[in-house]
Amino acid sequence: MVEGRKKTVGMMLFSAPFSSQYADHMCRLAEKALEKGYNVEIFLYGDAVHAQMSEQRPKTFFPVGDAIGRLVEKGAAVYSCEICSIARGYIKGELKDGKKDYSSTKVIAGIRFCSIYGFVEMLGRADKVLSFGGS
Amino acid sequence: MAKLVIEISHAPFGHENAYSGLFAAMGWVSVGNEVLVVLRGDGVHVARKGQADPLGEISLPPTEKQVVDVLGEGGRIVADRRSLEVRGVRKDMLIEGIEVLDTDDIFPLMLEEGERVLTF
Repeated sequence: MVEGRKKTVGMMLFSAPFSSQYADHMCRLAEKALEKGYNVEIFLYGDAVHAQMSEQRPKTFFPVGDAIGRLVEKGAAVYSCEICSIARGYIKGELKDGKKDYSSTKVIAGIRFCSIYGFVEMLGRADKVLSFGGS
Repeated sequence: MAKLVIEISHAPFGHENAYSGLFAAMGWVSVGNEVLVVLRGDGVHVARKGQADPLGEISLPPTEKQVVDVLGEGGRIVADRRSLEVRGVRKDMLIEGIEVLDTDDIFPLMLEEGERVLTF
C-alpha cells in the first residue's frame, strides 16, 4: 500500500492495441498500481485511441478493451485525445447545446475526452509519469 | 516550474510521433512549464530547417513551425551530435536555437531534468 498521501501515476499510451504489447503492459501495470493503492490516470494519444473502441474481440491477443473497461470500473481515470479521436471517427466533438458532443456508440463507457491541455494538467498532477509506445 | 522531457526518435512526415511529441511540448510550455526536447536517432531530422510539403501530398504537418514555437516559448531543444553526423546533417542545416550535444552529455541532462519523460 502507498503510505501517506495517495500518489498518482500518470501513463501515456501512444501505440494501438494488438500491433505491439505496449497497451498490454500499460493495462497490466495500471491494474497493479490500483491494487497497490495508487491513483491511476491514463492518456490515450495518437493511434492509442483505438484502445478505447468498444466490443473488441481479439481471439488470441491480450483483451485490451476488456482491460481498459476494468480499469475504468476500478477507478482509473482514462482520458482520450479529443482531436485524435475525431480524426479516427470515434466522436464528432462538435458543439451541441453549448457543449462538445462526445457521445459515441464506438467507445468503452467511462472514457473521458480532453484536449492537449487536459493531458498537460494530468502530467502536472502525476507523481510519476510512465510512457508506453512511441519509441 | 514543472519539468518535462520529450524524447523524439522518429523523423517528421513518416510517422505521427514527432508532430505529437512537439504538440505535447507546446501545450506544456504554453502554460508556464519547462520542457527539454531531445532529438535522437531519426528524430534529428526534426531539427532541419526548410521543411516543406509544397504539393500537400504527405498530409502530416511539417514540424519546423512547432520547433520555432517551442523555442519561442522558452523550451530547450537538443539534438544528438552522433545521430546528426551519421545522417549527414550539418549544423548549418539546423533551425536556429537548437543545441547540439554529445550523447554522453544528453543522458545526464535527461536524468537531471527527467521528472517526467515521454517517448515518441
